[in-house]
Amino acid sequence: MEKNTQEATPPTTTAGKIIRCKAAICRNPGEALVVEEIEVEPPKAWEVRLKILCTSLCHSDVTFWNMKPRELFPRILGHEAVGVVESVGEKVEGWREGERALPVFAADCEDCRDCRSAKSNICASFGRRGMVGLGMLRDGTSRFRDGSTGEVLHHFLGVSSFSEYTVVDVVNLVKIGVDIPVDKACLLSCGVSTGVGAAWKAAEVEEGSTVAIFGLGAVGLAVAEGARMRGASKIIGVDLNADKFELGKQFGLTDFINPTTIGDKRVSEVIKEMTHGGADYCFECIGLASLMAEAFSSSREGWGKTVIVGIEMHGAPLVVSPYEIIRGRSICGTYFGGLKPKTHISLLVKKYLDKELNLDPFITHEVGLKDINRAFELLAEGQSLRCLIWMDGCKQLTVPA
Amino acid sequence: MNGNSSTAGKPIRCKAAICRKAGDRLVIEEVIVAPPSRHELRIKIICTALCQSDVIFSKLVDPPAIYPRILGHEAIGVVESIGEDVTGVKPGDTVIPTFMSDCGDCADCHSEKSNLCSTLPFNITPYMPREDKTRFTDLNGNPLYHLFYISSFSEYTVVDKNYFVKIDPSFPPDRACLLSCGVATGVGAAWRTAEVEPGTTVAVFGLGTIGLAAAEGARLCGAKRIIGVDVNPDKFEMGKKFGLTDFVNPKTCGDKSVSEVILEMTNGGADYCFECVGMASLVEEAFACCRHGWGKTVVLGVDKPGTPLKFSSTDVLRGHKILTGALYGGLKAKRDVPILCKRYLDKELQLDEFVTHSVKFEEINKAFDLLEEGKSLRCVIWMDK
Repeated sequence: MEKNTQEATPPTTTAGKIIRCKAAICRNPGEALVVEEIEVEPPKAWEVRLKILCTSLCHSDVTFWNMKPRELFPRILGHEAVGVVESVGEKVEGWREGERALPVFAADCEDCRDCRSAKSNICASFGRRGMVGLGMLRDGTSRFRDGSTGEVLHHFLGVSSFSEYTVVDVVNLVKIGVDIPVDKACLLSCGVSTGVGAAWKAAEVEEGSTVAIFGLGAVGLAVAEGARMRGASKIIGVDLNADKFELGKQFGLTDFINPTTIGDKRVSEVIKEMTHGGADYCFECIGLASLMAEAFSSSREGWGKTVIVGIEMHGAPLVVSPYEIIRGRSICGTYFGGLKPKTHISLLVKKYLDKELNLDPFITHEVGLKDINRAFELLAEGQSLRCLIWMDGCKQLTVPA
Repeated sequence: MNGNSSTAGKPIRCKAAICRKAGDRLVIEEVIVAPPSRHELRIKIICTALCQSDVIFSKLVDPPAIYPRILGHEAIGVVESIGEDVTGVKPGDTVIPTFMSDCGDCADCHSEKSNLCSTLPFNITPYMPREDKTRFTDLNGNPLYHLFYISSFSEYTVVDKNYFVKIDPSFPPDRACLLSCGVATGVGAAWRTAEVEPGTTVAVFGLGTIGLAAAEGARLCGAKRIIGVDVNPDKFEMGKKFGLTDFVNPKTCGDKSVSEVILEMTNGGADYCFECVGMASLVEEAFACCRHGWGKTVVLGVDKPGTPLKFSSTDVLRGHKILTGALYGGLKAKRDVPILCKRYLDKELQLDEFVTHSVKFEEINKAFDLLEEGKSLRCVIWMDK
């Protein structure tokens, strides 16, 4: 049975008009999301309105869900998703109604000095703004209104995918083909790309290297997968949850350290023993400054590289010893794994289709929009990697064309 | 045992400048220098230069300080005799001793990315690298400790065979000795560690010999803009010779921090920042004004107590910039010193301007005074003929 993207699009009569649809709104920090009707305005210049097919919960959604400042709410969270273009605003070139797309929080304008450089993926024009803004990228205003009160609902990371329809800037949109199933494509809009990219682009893990990964959530396991693809000879996972070892083996994990079962030793000491002096590449995928420092100490002198992937949200500083730094170790942060969304996501799609990149095991659960809070519970319990949240009527599109 | 037939195989009695206690001035005394053991060579020093690290180790009270010690590690000399299992060098050859081993054979020596030879890792010990013994004794038979495996403030010294580079005897010795530490470290940091690209912007924190050498290295790499940071305004004029285009004095920044000033000047940050003092707060400033996306901050100096470096985790993550450090500027002595020598002879690399003073061995303490008063870059200390 042939399914193509055209079936996913709404009737073209919605273009230029407000759309009423369902969304999961977060009204107060840490409160269960409520699925209600909202209004989504048409896209303005440089914007695209997207019908979301499915979205998945990423830990960063949880982090922002819990943030205190009142001004951040009510908000539509979600930033890992896949959708179909419903309509485009003025000045948007190269996009048509019906095309499949990934909204990506990492802006890619393809035009500024950073976007043109092979060495950076931090868009100088839009990179920072998108991360902190409550409204659309260019004018700061919101396209969402509460369906009954008309109250403004804030955007999130330039994506806001916990909604049947959203509006994103064209710099936050990446084309995706129909040959990759929708649910696998969704993973590439954030977490898995970030992890694989960190190993591939940010660290440039070489064949035969030793790798240590702190934190085996979806991102950490994606780093393992990326390291495996690059031919790492030893991939050590560090996590408090012993179940992650078995799970991680699918992604190339060769060794495991549970910090609570190593007695008096520090994790870095154990890693140094296991690798005869330190790992070639260390990754921190949680967002804890103390672990970042531990990861750094676990790296080998001479060429050891530590890549920080996790976001430290409590302002704790990263502390490193100058004696360790001066002995040739380096440390750097990475944002979206160092990948340029519009250039590199398609390469990951190809690797998936060529069966080099393993995506299927990342999806551990699926729910419909009305049960979105279950996704939060599963993540909090450490039970899930990626829980997909399907918008109504969209699941049949998992079958590739 | 192979060497000058009159001294080979025998202890040599000669003069050395000894630091007997923390904070004391050096005293020149007669000492006994043992013949080189297996894997070692004994060198007659031609000249040596004073480096800030020597000053630090003349004052430090806690380990790795140890007394009495023969300091000095930037030097050039002639091989007097060699021990067993020493190949590739013979008595009469001119060599500079190096504090970093270069065995040419381990994973690190084979790797382009590392200059930390794992056969004989760099550690600050009082002894020779392969055994915990010294080759110096004073006239009472008490051991005198080594510094960085070199100890060049002596008419003769003994070094390990992994720790030297041969130099053409016609190359000016008071330029060659600079390549065994300070100047090579700075130039190497720009050239090998940071790999500065043409047309870029560089910021150098601390304009002593290492900082000015980092500027020189950046200039040679084609950097377009080199911003020097120092509390001594005279360093700007001095630095112009080495390519400095701008200068920031932290004392005259008003309300702003140095990093804020540099962020403004460069419209977002320098492509490369070098910290050449060894002050934690300066490393943090350097990192803060390093450009996001591709910026690289290189740490060359270390604080005496090893004060931990603190960075905003957000800046590390979102900035995507690299923080790294290096010993000896990331150089592999045997590969890189000859290249630097050639670049000097081709009149590309400036070395003359680093030698601001010259003294005789007996006046060695004057070199210390000049450095501490901020009056010198490199003061060369000549041994007697």
